[in-house]
Amino acid sequence: MDAVSLILPLAEITVAGAIINASVHFIPVGGAPAAMATSTGVGTGTTQLAAGAGFTGLMAAAVMAAQKGINLMNPAHLAIILLSGAVGSMIMLGLTMLIGQLIYVFGVGVVPAADKCDKDPFTGDYQKSYITPGTTGHAIPTVCFISGLIGAALGGIGGGLAYIAFKQLGFDSGIAGIVAIGFFFMNAVLASYNIGGTIEGFHDPKFKKIPNGIIASFVASLVAGAIITGMSLGI
Amino acid sequence: MSHGGGGHAAELYPENQILIVGVVLSIVGMYIAQFIPQLAMLVGGLLTVAATVAGANTTRRVAAYGLGTGVPSIGMLSLGMGTVAALSGVLLANGMVTQYGFSNVVLYLIPIFVAVIAIVLGFIVGKLTVKPIGMKIPIMVESMTKLALMGALSIMGFCVAFAGGFLPNVVIPGAVNNGIIGLAFIAAGMAILHPFNACLGPNESHKRTLLLAVACGLLTWFIFSVASLDVVSIIVSAVLWAIVYRLFVKQSLNDACDVLYIPELPKKEM
Repeated sequence: MDAVSLILPLAEITVAGAIINASVHFIPVGGAPAAMATSTGVGTGTTQLAAGAGFTGLMAAAVMAAQKGINLMNPAHLAIILLSGAVGSMIMLGLTMLIGQLIYVFGVGVVPAADKCDKDPFTGDYQKSYITPGTTGHAIPTVCFISGLIGAALGGIGGGLAYIAFKQLGFDSGIAGIVAIGFFFMNAVLASYNIGGTIEGFHDPKFKKIPNGIIASFVASLVAGAIITGMSLGI
Repeated sequence: MSHGGGGHAAELYPENQILIVGVVLSIVGMYIAQFIPQLAMLVGGLLTVAATVAGANTTRRVAAYGLGTGVPSIGMLSLGMGTVAALSGVLLANGMVTQYGFSNVVLYLIPIFVAVIAIVLGFIVGKLTVKPIGMKIPIMVESMTKLALMGALSIMGFCVAFAGGFLPNVVIPGAVNNGIIGLAFIAAGMAILHPFNACLGPNESHKRTLLLAVACGLLTWFIFSVASLDVVSIIVSAVLWAIVYRLFVKQSLNDACDVLYIPELPKKEM
């Protein structure tokens, strides 16, 4: 193998790690409080949500990459694969948020309201007056939903890019898939430690910590990428 | 010893003791699986349980500080690093032999390679969680290193036990290409993250968490025995699991303030 065909995937892996990390910061994660509808976001941990969306994106990208006539080195085909990953991931997280929203509104009986902004930047609705005292928002308001969709798209692109990079290094689909899953989890958890539990989306003050997470994932992905590139010599 | 998160009960055995036992037993298990493939699932699987128990014990120690993201996150991180380390250990050794003309002896060092790569990866990721990310847990770096190591050894151990050897031409078609490594990822992950996640709280005791850790490890072994259709292993693991799980339930009932077998709340003030 020549140097270019090793360095290009290494760069892709590094960028993919940074994108995966950034994607997690967009996803409205409420954690345990949201499971009781006393906080904004979907009621589960960062890792689970990001992983759910990311894996769907990964599979959507993998299915597209396995189609006949797809050439992994062709930039146009690459874009189609990444787009397929982004759409798969967005559908997954969009449905999760939609069904969660239905349960919050019609099951629990709370009004979707964001705690971290006075006025929803998309609909212009006032939020503060709908928040029950003692809680930090409810359900998934429009701004969180859109932020979540952006995050899911980035996650799908990141996961797809990592998968493509592993395929370009010459791994079988099985090995590329499982390594991509391990790689995705590594970066998603680094991001969730950076967030420190819950986040509402890009309007949350915690979102400003995103550079730290991206730097951490960049370095971690570079190290993992170097190991994985070394691995590819042993196929 | 008491910390912010769930609080720490006194330790029954020191963490490093359990860790060393876990590392040694799981690596010995891999060599037994390699050289006596007939016993791969029976002995290799059983000894890999030690790795998951050690991982669960480390999870207990670090997660008691309060991660802020839930216990499962650190288990998944450990398994994520472990997958990369396990596969790269196998393929790097293979590359050294096929590309650079090292002797075949290198292939028999694969379990050591896996452990070393996991330690390096875990140490770097642990450093990153402290420096740019700013986790305030004093034992973060050492715990990450240990967790990556245990994650890698658990995944590798169950894959080797299933495939019947750790040589690249055995384990890659026997446990990776057929997807068994995915099962190893999530089943071993559950065995590492579940025990403390289930037992944490103010009244957490080391003995109870360890018992559950052993039970979860044996259950993971049982799942792999069923997957490989090894009748002896299925029976042995099911029996051992039932014994340990019974001990765990007994211990839980002992530790509880009160156990009431009635479906309604007691009327009088306690």
